[in-house]
Amino acid sequence: MLKYTLRRWGAMMLTMFIIMSLSFWIIRLMPQSIFENPEVAPEIQRLLEAEMHLDKPMWVQYYYFLRGIITERDFGRSVKLRPGMEVFKVIVSRIKPSMVLNFFSLILAIPAGIILGTIAALQRNKWPDNLISFLVVIFISVPSFVFGAVLQYLFTFKFPIFPTLYNASASSFREMFRSLTLPIIALALGPAATIARYLRGELIETLNSEFLLLARTKGLTRTQAVVRHAFRNSLVPIANTMIPMITGIMGGSLVIERIFAVPGMGGQLVESIVVGDHFLTVALLIWYSAISLITIFIVDISYGLIDPRIRIGGEK
Amino acid sequence: MAERDKRDVILQVKDLNVSFRTYGGIVRAVRGVTFDLRRGETVAIVGESGSGKSVTIKAIMGILPSNATIESGEILYGGMDLTKLTEEEFHNIRGKRIGLIFQDPLSALNPIMKVGNQIMEALILSQKMSKKAARQRALELMEAVGIPDVERRFNQYPFQFSGGMRQRIVIAIALAGDPEILICDEPTTALDVTVQARILELINKIKEERHLSVIFITHDLGVVATMADRVNVMYAGKIVETGTSEEVFFEPAHPYTWALLSSMPDLETKERLFSIPGTPPNMISPPPGDAFSVRNRYALRIDFEKEPPLFKITDTHYAATWLLHPKAPRVEMPEALKTRIERMRRRAVGNE
Ligand SMILES: Nc1ncnc2c1ncn2[C@@H]1O[C@H](COP(=O)(O)OP(=O)(O)OP(=O)(O)O)[C@@H](O)[C@H]1O
Ligand SMILES: [Mg+2]
Repeated sequence: MLKYTLRRWGAMMLTMFIIMSLSFWIIRLMPQSIFENPEVAPEIQRLLEAEMHLDKPMWVQYYYFLRGIITERDFGRSVKLRPGMEVFKVIVSRIKPSMVLNFFSLILAIPAGIILGTIAALQRNKWPDNLISFLVVIFISVPSFVFGAVLQYLFTFKFPIFPTLYNASASSFREMFRSLTLPIIALALGPAATIARYLRGELIETLNSEFLLLARTKGLTRTQAVVRHAFRNSLVPIANTMIPMITGIMGGSLVIERIFAVPGMGGQLVESIVVGDHFLTVALLIWYSAISLITIFIVDISYGLIDPRIRIGGEK
Repeated sequence: MAERDKRDVILQVKDLNVSFRTYGGIVRAVRGVTFDLRRGETVAIVGESGSGKSVTIKAIMGILPSNATIESGEILYGGMDLTKLTEEEFHNIRGKRIGLIFQDPLSALNPIMKVGNQIMEALILSQKMSKKAARQRALELMEAVGIPDVERRFNQYPFQFSGGMRQRIVIAIALAGDPEILICDEPTTALDVTVQARILELINKIKEERHLSVIFITHDLGVVATMADRVNVMYAGKIVETGTSEEVFFEPAHPYTWALLSSMPDLETKERLFSIPGTPPNMISPPPGDAFSVRNRYALRIDFEKEPPLFKITDTHYAATWLLHPKAPRVEMPEALKTRIERMRRRAVGNE
């Protein structure tokens, strides 16, 4: 297991490096000057450019870029959105609402999906299954911002239960969380439906498997057989859906944050691209990739934990 | 049937009919199967793929899929009719009174659970044994079925075992609850020949040691010879011939049994193998009369029209073919088969 983990870790670091390099080259080669501020005198502009090594050839800049990140977590400075502020600090200031939003969507989606998928599989082709399958289709095919808008209309306007927008001046976590409830639900519907759909299929297959029959001929009750032999086995392929799910939540978050005026990372990424705040864009891209890679890493490890064939096979 | 035998009957299947609801229509998979199992003996059920062998034993174990119905018939065991048991009542039968060995050890084990735990779990969950006692018993069972190095093997997963070793684990699982009846559904079909022989030996050995009564399912008559006391030949959901092993092997009466015997590979001679022409009938609308008639060289006109009853040959030997009717023309089994049987007979005598 250790070897397997280390190998996964190595692969993750290599991928991270490639992504960092790609983000750097793609963004920085875009035909937009880093400074285009008419209020700054050309001499000062040149001075600043020298300080940021912008006057040197691209590959030298690349060297400084990598060295800065690796040695002192220096991703450069924001030049347009928050002029002069360290990019790292900009990101840190934006992390909290985004993380709360994304994390709790996930925490909500996983058990909801598992419960719905299990009900659907056990009640196969009966009305609960049909109802769940119908909802699943809707939740998967309609993008989350539509649900965001609908929820916002229903529960802040028609029935004003929740605040319309994110409460930036909330004095407690509870209050902040309350203002994030609707976007969390909006973001969770799609992933919950994805899990439900996959789990239903997997469970139905394992429920018909020979080893489930064997479990019953041993003298286990149907419930014991399902819980011990069908459920855990079905989770193996479900782990795989986690990766697109988390990136999906983060993608949906870009728009949802706008609808509910959440000052998170998503809004920041879009803005930084629009105005051409290159250092910030690169850093945000790296941030998003890092999250995805860590997700993949965790999923890979949990695969190994669930399925001995991967864990032990990988050691040979 | 002699009176003295009746007392020893431990399980009795009476006129069992099982059908499946499918999109294509009602599949009548088992049509009036009757046989009994006596204490300490091995009864074989032999037949081609699709003849309804597995469905019969699934009915006995109460594990028919949800689209199956037992239309009629009884399965008598320990004063109960198993066809009428509720799911709860069955938990005291499955594993504890009747154990089952599956056809394919590859898919019968849970791939992500340690084999030791798969043996132990029924002991812990349904027999309320302590974990320690269950572990001890599991290790003993693994030893009993011939697995070396049990302490280490206990903590391994199915994919780390060879096919033969996996089948031994499946056997250990079936024995865990200390059943008195063991049902083997083609236990060696998925294994290669050398392993096959050893598994059959093992089944015979544990049968003796544990005083089991065995129902042995196979499509290979060759396997039956070394295993069974009595043989039921099954075709298209019916038992077409039943008798002691000697009777079925040396004096077969049904043309289907002739065909099966003729198509049995014989390692000692190089004669060309006979294969049964045609395919088994569609069980959604089985043909009237004798279901085998369309593939039967010796079929009479009546075989296509009217279903033959079981004609008695001896007290223990019956066959369902109109050829046994007193007014039927005398039809002999093919010459090649006769010489074959003669050879088998000599070999059997030689072995004794
Ligand atoms: N779940 C099911 N739904 C519909 N038909 C079924 C089902 N299970 C079995 N059957 C039908 O029942 C018949 C008998 O099947 P069964 O599995 O008993 O054959 P078998 O004699 O065990 O053959 P094999 O040697 O291949 O195991 C077949 O015609 C099959 O198509
Ligand atoms: Mg079968």
